Amino acid sequence: MSAHRRPRPAADRDSAAWWEALRRHEFLLQRCADCGVLRFPAREVCARCRSFTWSWIPARGTGRVVSWVVTHHAVHPAFADEAPYTVLHVALDDAPGLFCHGGLTGAAPGGLHPDLPVRAVFTDVADGTPLLLWRPEPAQGPH
Amino acid sequence: MGDGGRALSEAAAIAGIGYTPFSRDSGVSTTTLACAAILEALADAGLGADDVDGIATHRVGDSAPPWVVGPALGIDDPHWYLDQFGGGSVSHAVIGQAAMAVATGMATTAVCYRAINARSEFRPGGQGRAPVGAFDLQYQAPHGLLAPVQHYAVAARAHMLAYGTTREHLGHVAVTQRANAAANPRAVKRDPIGMDDHLASRRIAEPFGLLDCCLETDGACAVVVTSAERARDLRHPPVDIAAAAWGGGHSAYSSAARGPAPPPHANLTTSSAARLAPRLYAMAGLGPRDVDVAEIYDCFTWTVLVQLEDYGFCAKGEGGPYAASGATRLTGELPVNTHGGFLSEGYVHGINHVAEAVQQLRGEAGERQVPGAEVALTTGQPGHVLAGTSALLLTAGR
Repeated sequence: MSAHRRPRPAADRDSAAWWEALRRHEFLLQRCADCGVLRFPAREVCARCRSFTWSWIPARGTGRVVSWVVTHHAVHPAFADEAPYTVLHVALDDAPGLFCHGGLTGAAPGGLHPDLPVRAVFTDVADGTPLLLWRPEPAQGPH
Repeated sequence: MGDGGRALSEAAAIAGIGYTPFSRDSGVSTTTLACAAILEALADAGLGADDVDGIATHRVGDSAPPWVVGPALGIDDPHWYLDQFGGGSVSHAVIGQAAMAVATGMATTAVCYRAINARSEFRPGGQGRAPVGAFDLQYQAPHGLLAPVQHYAVAARAHMLAYGTTREHLGHVAVTQRANAAANPRAVKRDPIGMDDHLASRRIAEPFGLLDCCLETDGACAVVVTSAERARDLRHPPVDIAAAAWGGGHSAYSSAARGPAPPPHANLTTSSAARLAPRLYAMAGLGPRDVDVAEIYDCFTWTVLVQLEDYGFCAKGEGGPYAASGATRLTGELPVNTHGGFLSEGYVHGINHVAEAVQQLRGEAGERQVPGAEVALTTGQPGHVLAGTSALLLTAGR
């Protein structure tokens, strides 16, 4: 572990509860109480019907790979020991148009391809920061 | 909705441009850089600081604001000023807004500047920056996803996966622009590079290597905006602002889901420019075929390819083959980044693209002059990080 502290999540008033849930290893989305649209990242208002009424719901925790970056030149000293490291851009299975970034775990970047199914993995780094990583799902055999 | 801003077309003109030297360590403050570039631009126009009643810049807490720079030059009662938040996405919006100020009579002569010690003080990569506060970044920073080079690498890879864009396609952008820089005395990098150099350059954030990335630079650049009528009485032939457009409001990450289908901007392979280009062209009554020279925001090689597509110079997905065909060379059908761009001249966040377009339209670009250039497109960062974009269409005035 690098001597430099990882950047903190810096939750805002809209997202604080999302980060608290992640600390409990739960991946939540918001659902509009009036029109039912799901949303992420956290905000108070629905972009479709502009309602401020909503609730948290548990997400499926699965998605599909859209793209990724393999970082060789650490842009922050806290990540120097981890480079090269891979961060995925994942489309969540819960709803179209919802995306989530996260580190790749359990696989090498060479095996990545678009639409690869991935599942959320929760982990906590040494300073207690909760992280949402993505692990490729094992190939599904015939039923 | 408005009428597309047609009342703005050709109401204002660029009458002067100015630069400081570009370097890796200016040794002076951003206030000094800004003042020096502004005075150069005014001298170029044949004006003085006492003629200025408007002053505008953009910054992300990394430069000298108008309320410091104005008084430093003895301009302490501007009729109009703008201190816009943002980087390359708003670089051209600042000049468009100065044109609005002039067109409405809020100001008669405005100076627009960008001054930044991006190499010696405020490095765009965010190295050693303090904690993260941005809306999107809170979800990204804990994974080490922090810098524009990484966000653009994600988008570039999506383009490669969708359209077969290759590292060689990116390389054509870098190699061509370096060749152009050889004819630009201001360029920080003028030594020629070949495709092998590009492909072998140190990996930064794959698919980008070092030669896909713009140069962090200390420097400043300024332009003088005044009415098209007044510009005709000044020192140089005027360059008319035929159209200015800016907008867009989403990053690919913070897209707000609004229904059963993903929003259009959720597709990483298309930039905000695709939505902006139609209204930019409509304002000027021009199209991509009318453009003689294009100065396209090149924070990374790939942003040139996606904008060649999104501004209509080639079909979607064909940016790579279009660049590889030689079309974007000085001798091609659409010379692009004639000064070497941010990849070779230096990175002053967009405004040096505008200044190069002005030189081309005045016919004073020397060895790199595009013969008979009368219409220039110049563009800002195409989105993906701080969302929107901005662009200008400039025409040689008479």
